[in-house]
Amino acid sequence: MGRQVAIVSAGFSEHASKRSDVSMPELVNEAIMDCLKKVPSVDPNKDIDAFVNGNMPAFEGANIPELWMTDWMGARNKPLMRVTTGGTTGGTVAIAGYYNVTAGLPGIDTVLAIAFEQQSQGDTATGLASVAYGEISILNTLGISYETLGRLLSAGAAIGVAAYQATNYMSKARITEEDLARVVVHNRRMAAKNWWAHLRMPNLTIEEVLDTPYVQYPLRYGMLCPASDGACAMLFTTEEKAKDMCDIPVYVNGVASVANETAVLGYDGSGSAQVDPSAQIGAMRSSELAYAQAGISFPRKEIDYAEVYSPFPNQELMWLEKLGLFEETTAPQMYENGTIALDGDLPVNCSGGVNSTNAIGASAMERPAVAAQQIMGTADNQVKKTVHTSIGHGWGGSLNLCTLMVMSDEPQRKWR
Amino acid sequence: MEKVGIVGFNQVKLYSDANYGRYEMIFEAVRGAIDKAGLKKKDITTVISCTNDYYDGRTISNCWTVEVGGGYLADESKCEMDGAHAVLYGLMRILSGNHKLAVIWGGSMPSCYPYHSARLYETDPTWERPLGYVNDITAGGFQMRAYMEKFGVSKEEIARIAVKNRKNAAKNPLALAESQNANITVQDVLNSDVYSDPVTELMVAQPCDGVAALLLAPERQALKITDNPVWITGVGYSQDTYYLGERDLSVSKSMEIASKTALNAAGIKNPKNEIDVAELFEAYAHEELIFTEALGLAEKGKAASFNSEINGELAINPSGGAIGGNPPCATGLIRIIEAAKQLRGEANGYQVKGAKKAIASGQIGMCAQNNILFVLEGNV
Repeated sequence: MGRQVAIVSAGFSEHASKRSDVSMPELVNEAIMDCLKKVPSVDPNKDIDAFVNGNMPAFEGANIPELWMTDWMGARNKPLMRVTTGGTTGGTVAIAGYYNVTAGLPGIDTVLAIAFEQQSQGDTATGLASVAYGEISILNTLGISYETLGRLLSAGAAIGVAAYQATNYMSKARITEEDLARVVVHNRRMAAKNWWAHLRMPNLTIEEVLDTPYVQYPLRYGMLCPASDGACAMLFTTEEKAKDMCDIPVYVNGVASVANETAVLGYDGSGSAQVDPSAQIGAMRSSELAYAQAGISFPRKEIDYAEVYSPFPNQELMWLEKLGLFEETTAPQMYENGTIALDGDLPVNCSGGVNSTNAIGASAMERPAVAAQQIMGTADNQVKKTVHTSIGHGWGGSLNLCTLMVMSDEPQRKWR
Repeated sequence: MEKVGIVGFNQVKLYSDANYGRYEMIFEAVRGAIDKAGLKKKDITTVISCTNDYYDGRTISNCWTVEVGGGYLADESKCEMDGAHAVLYGLMRILSGNHKLAVIWGGSMPSCYPYHSARLYETDPTWERPLGYVNDITAGGFQMRAYMEKFGVSKEEIARIAVKNRKNAAKNPLALAESQNANITVQDVLNSDVYSDPVTELMVAQPCDGVAALLLAPERQALKITDNPVWITGVGYSQDTYYLGERDLSVSKSMEIASKTALNAAGIKNPKNEIDVAELFEAYAHEELIFTEALGLAEKGKAASFNSEINGELAINPSGGAIGGNPPCATGLIRIIEAAKQLRGEANGYQVKGAKKAIASGQIGMCAQNNILFVLEGNV
């Protein structure tokens, strides 16, 4: 059986649209240094036993960048594993960090997990275009011309699929663009109190968001996440060692990464298609798995804080429902009545979320990292209530893959 | 470390140009492994895939393989290294107690992309890539030269490894047809085209199309699923530094560290006597010699005189090794599968008699920067 795993520290680099002052390895190093400076008793040379790393390699034009970054991470002559799954890469890296520790392989107790992205090095939209398609040859066989494919491409990348999802969700929940803008305002105002966040707008209003042009109905320019450069690092270790390293270790009690069918557009070589991209069976299944591991039966009552992965505002509403925190279609009300605010009953995305900071490879790791910091009481935008249990969520693939990490200030065995 | 069982595996035939879809190939491998083990899709709790976005020419290359790889609504992830590293992640997931059956698959189709150009994207983008002077092929040349100069090993001795592996591959029906040659001579290898002096074409493990899949289960479940599981009893992996100038290319430090960890975990004191068969991922013929020394099977510089034939002192790469076919992202996984075949006595035509313990390795990076070694034991 696996061992109990604890998070002892999390660190971030500064995020901005162009971090041209640093190279990719230096950016990664910045996050690692921030992570390690919070645990002064850890000697990076002696105490870190293994590394897990990941990003979305297509964006920067560097394949398996860990190879040449080795020394910037301090991984020379140590075990290193690279995992990557697109938008969920960060979540996947954090989960792999958990599995590295829990497996109990000889000599591996403390693991440094690092996720990063320096999008200014390449072109993200080009990199994402090939995700939205199925196999081009298969689409051709079905009689879809290159011309039509070109139009699909413009609907492709992340915004194309997110717009489908947004309209589906809006019609189900019967909400307006104003409700979407409210989510954006919450995120950007929260980001203003977070030192590493990218879009910090303390005085943003709903009117200002609605005053920006459409990119694709119903999503306006002011509602979209930025493209950031940034990195995040987390330190995982065993329960015993964690107690010596920090005051309040955060125990990882449940993890899951579940993929639904890939096809979104309705015709494809690999599936019969998700009819409703806001149905998100993958998210529901991942929460089922992770909550069961953590012994959570009533997520709404037992979870004190949630960080969800929402580059687009409609997704934040959708995830909160799909992850069992609110009843279906009720999330927009929670934004209206302040349940999700900093001093609310169930605060959400007080880091500013992905909507304010999106270094894609790192984003899904920043969610569990902030959720862990909220339990430790060291988050930059610390919530008012005491957080005992929190979740960090990630989303990626072609709308279909979800990662989830459930953390608590008490070890898993107590509740299972 | 608790024992974890290999309960099934499957590999598609390797082709230089398979001429059928990547997804069909993945399906064939994964479905075959599950069918052979007498299991069903619903039994799968976790899937670890191994692909590379650059090799597959698309972002999130595991995105469209969810269904064919058995990942639909299962806990899935991707390891972007060698297939052997994906097995490591699968192993960790089984050891965690969260999962009871892990599917690990890996593979790629280099017939659809220029493999060596894709590998160029692995180099340092600021200092090395613009010149293109340091790449995976020239690095192989540097490594072979360093090994020859330091220990006074001749080209002929290295060519002999290529000859052995290509002759072994001829006995392996799944090996790449172009690599199979029962009548090859040392002269043939030395006279083939120069890749990067002193490496010649026939010393190179040629990239080819292929996918392989492997199933892992905890000890208790493994014994229920099959009568002859193969046990993973040790694993070690390590990453060397990147810059070739900072490394001693005539040895493999990462393999030395990896083998020490793995052999210790499995309680093996004297690998030369205790191990019966080794399947090593040698990207070039000379790497097999370097690894043989790093594993402690031969003294430094003396691996060339070590008898590694199928009926020799210790059989190395009886299946033909990576020289018998090198599908990127699957090669290390195939090494583990071949070692498991030997332990189950299923290696028809290239079986090592009475094989009880085996080692299998995987690698990534230039001059095998990151190595991983597994110790496997048969079910006795």
